[in-house]
Parts: sequence; structure tokens; C-alpha cells
Amino acid sequence: MSVAGFEVEVDRGSGLETEEMTLNMGPQHPSTHGVLRFVVKADGEVMRRAVPDIGYLHRSIEKISEKVGYHGFMPYTDRVDYVAAMFCNQGWGMVTEKLAGIEVPKRGEYCRVIAAELNRISSHLLAVGTMILDIGAITPFFHAFREREKINDLLEELCGARLTYNYMRVGGVAWDLPPGYEEKVLAFLNQLEPMLDEHYDLVSENTLFRGRAASVATISAETAISYNLVGPNLRASGVRYDVRRDEPYSVYPELEFDVPVGTGMAGEVGDSFDRYYLRVQEIRESVKILRQCFQQIPDGPVVAKVPRKLKPPAGDAQIRVESARGDMSWYAVSDGSEFPYRCKVRTGSFAAMSIIEEISQGLMLADLVTVIASLDIVAPEVDR
Amino acid sequence: MAGVLNTYFRNIFDTAATVFEGMAVTCSHFVRKPTTIQYPDRTDVRVQDTLPYRYRGILEVDLDICTGCLACERACPIDCIVIDAKKDKATRQMMLNRFDIDIAKCMYCGLCSEPCPTGSIHHTPEFEGADYSLESMLRRFVKEPVAAYKPKKVEDDPKILPVLERGMRYLDEFANPDEEEKGAEA
Repeated sequence: MSVAGFEVEVDRGSGLETEEMTLNMGPQHPSTHGVLRFVVKADGEVMRRAVPDIGYLHRSIEKISEKVGYHGFMPYTDRVDYVAAMFCNQGWGMVTEKLAGIEVPKRGEYCRVIAAELNRISSHLLAVGTMILDIGAITPFFHAFREREKINDLLEELCGARLTYNYMRVGGVAWDLPPGYEEKVLAFLNQLEPMLDEHYDLVSENTLFRGRAASVATISAETAISYNLVGPNLRASGVRYDVRRDEPYSVYPELEFDVPVGTGMAGEVGDSFDRYYLRVQEIRESVKILRQCFQQIPDGPVVAKVPRKLKPPAGDAQIRVESARGDMSWYAVSDGSEFPYRCKVRTGSFAAMSIIEEISQGLMLADLVTVIASLDIVAPEVDR
Repeated sequence: MAGVLNTYFRNIFDTAATVFEGMAVTCSHFVRKPTTIQYPDRTDVRVQDTLPYRYRGILEVDLDICTGCLACERACPIDCIVIDAKKDKATRQMMLNRFDIDIAKCMYCGLCSEPCPTGSIHHTPEFEGADYSLESMLRRFVKEPVAAYKPKKVEDDPKILPVLERGMRYLDEFANPDEEEKGAEA
């Protein structure tokens, strides 16, 4: 096998062979984002396999929806994925609107997209920053979080909260854009782009970082599809699929943006570096979308008239949202009462979690954190 | 052998070069403005005063303008608001006997302040809510039974007027979707 560019011969059969040992990584571990546990079968430094053990963060969010009604469930959706709560808000809003046949005003849709894309930038900054942190560099993490802090401030001004936004409502959004918001966001975007260039010099070009991420845990396009990977993880493997482009919702058909895919610029297509760099590219695409949104946003109401006691007709509906962690699908069944009969969320982190067992075979133990971080797994999203 | 040595020294050189490249970015921050603030005691103004108007902090109720309509209690998804409002048969006035908010349960979603007709229940920018016991986080707003506020066409009480203006300004922030239905339900 090869370690850091050198061919290393593993001695077997001379009476010095190692035996397999079982290690626990987690539930509390500084480099697992949230509470998740891996049972690692390792042969020395080399992993035979790492089996994820999920369920530590199960909060029965889907069940809660059956007790609190359509409007009351909105703040709970923030907790599905607290790093990118806007998409969960949007998903629940969209599935309820589809059930009840409500149309969102144009300005409301634009407000949603603006909030969601800001949230996507912040989520990707977190993913990129913490991946570098897990690999062992701390400075770029602070740079990423400095920028994320500015987005938090912007979203705080928009909806009053920094993490659990509860910004969207069934039929639109709760608050219109505050006065002077456009200037503030554009000023932020203008200084974000030079920061990304600086980040490129600092991290993406860095030999040490490339050595840790390039050609590590490569996922081929076939494996990615067969494990149902979604979002940036799928696109990094070279599959050009984006729900925003291929199954457009909201006002995305009116916006122009590229869907970047992994190119294997540091090693192979679909390695950890590709997954990292794809997120950086997606930040640039989100910046593009935001600029267009502010140019195209029309005047008008931001929320449709929706009765406080919403009783959608019996039936079911399913929608898909391109969340920061990929295709997030929401399914809801209504029995005609004011409470949903059933709600189901399918999230991207769950698929990303299940592929770890496959791709961790034969990796070094220290690479497991690279794999978790590069797949951008948010533990509460796995369990819900 | 020469190839291995070559790789070895090239690795060392690459590492040193890339560290210098990164350090150039890091060192440029010595001459930039710092972005951190020294919370809590070394800021120029209290952090609470710098927060945006829509900030959702700890809930507060202005009993002077509470109509006792129970809209907030119904909107709350976790039932952290408990209101006991009864009509006094003798004076024929709505009396508020109890208005409790369990801040320990509250998740600061803002759904209660949205349907309030006068903006009585509202979020303050206060966020430092840590406490030693759960009981002390239960906020009892009604100390002794008080009469609920009755909306008038033109408010003339100088004591209530500024409170009501504050409440209505708070409500104006929301993109109120169902003005009429709210009136019909109340």
C-alpha cells in the first residue's frame, strides 16, 4: 500500500501480524459534527470497516407534526437540519401549499430564494471550514466563520434569529425584506468574493491539504448513484444533477446559474478534495443567484392569505428541495383535519452516512474524519 | 534510491513553500481591522442595543394592552403560554387571572406574537436568560387579577397610548396575511 507517496510493504505471515481491533469513535468526539458514533474495525492504522451507528439524535420530529398542525410545525422544521434550516422551512411550506393548493406570491418566492441562498452560503462555509479544521488547520476555519457570522447577522435582521429562523410560513414568508437590505447583502457579497480568492490561496492550493484530501475516499459515479447520494456529494462524483435545475421549483427557472461538478483537479474525480472544492464553487453560484434575485424581485405581497386553522383536503403530496446537503424530499399526508396525518422527510445526510461503511474500507484511521467532514454530515439531519 | 530521495526532498520543499504561501495570507491579517468583540463587559454599547428590531429574544407581555383573546395561547406549538381569562359576571368585564409564560419551554419561534391584535405579547432583544432553576424561568405576568384591555376606536388614555403605539409598530413588521379573518375570529 502507499502512504504519503511511499510504497510500504505490510509484513504478513512472519509471526508479527496484527489482529483486528474494534474501536469506538464517538458518540462524543470533537470531529464528528454532532452526536454520531462509528464502530471501527481496524488493523493497526488501517480501517477494515467503519460502521455508523445512528439514532443518538432522534427527536421524533415527524411524529410531532401530527400533533401541532400545519402552522405550528414550521418552527420544528428548523430543527431537522439546524445548519441549513431555511431549506427545511421551505420544504414544509411547499408541501403544505401543494396539499392545500395555495399559491405563493412572486415576491414571497423571491424572498424565500434570497433567504435560502444566503443560508446555502453559510452552510457551505461551515462545511468547508470545519472540514479544514478536522484535517488540522485552524486559521481557514476562522476565516470561514467570520464570513458566516456576517450572514448570521443578515439573517438575524431578516427574520430575528440566527440559526432557527422560522422565516417562512405556509403561503409565503413572515416578514418582508427590511429597508436597505439589498445594499447590505450586496455589500456582503462584494467582499465575500475576494475572501473566496484568498481562501483559495490559503487552502485549495495548499500542498498539505491536498495531500490529506486528494484521492482519499473516492466515490465513483456508479457507487454514488447506487447509494443514492444527493447534492454536492453526488455532483462531486461527476453526476450533473441538481433539483434546482432538473426539477425546478420556486423561481429557479427564472434564474441563471451553473451546476458545477467534480473534475478531479487534485486527484481523482469524486475524491474528498472534489467534494470540498465543489462547495466552494457552489458558494460562487449562490452569489450569482442572489445578485439576480435582487435585480428581478418584484413588488407586492410576500404571503398569500391562509386561514389560521388550515385544513387541506384529504390526499398526499411530495416535493423536493435542493438543500445545502442535497435533495431533501418532504412527504405529507392529510386526512382533511387540521393536523397532518403523516409527514416524512428524506434528507441527504442519511444517504451520505450509509456510504461511509463502503468507502472507509482500507483507509487510514485518520482519514475517517476527512470522509465524514467531506461528506458534510450533519448528525441531527440523519435521525430527525 | 535517487528517486526516493528526490521525492523526500521535494516533499520538504513543497511543504515549506506552501506554508509560506499560507502564512502570507495569515500575516496580512495583522494589519486588518479585528472583527471580534469582547462580550459581555468590554463592548461600547450593550449587545442587546445593537440587535435588529426583529430580534426574537425573551418574551414580554404588556398587560395594559392585552385583550385576553387567547390567540397567542392557541398559536403556541409547545403550550408554553397559559392564560386564564374569565368574564366577571358582576362588572361584565374580561378579567385576566393568570398569564404565565414558561421561558424554559419557549423556543423563540415568534408564532405567538404574530396573531396578537395589539402587539401586547412581543419579543424583547434580551437574550441572557440563563438561570439556576427551572421554576424561576416561569414568568408570571399577572400578580393579581386585572381587567383586560378593551380596544377603542381612538385611544385617549395617555398611559396606554405609548404602549399601544409600540405594540402596533411591532405588528407592522409582520407581513400580515389575514387581517379580516383575524377580526372575524376574535
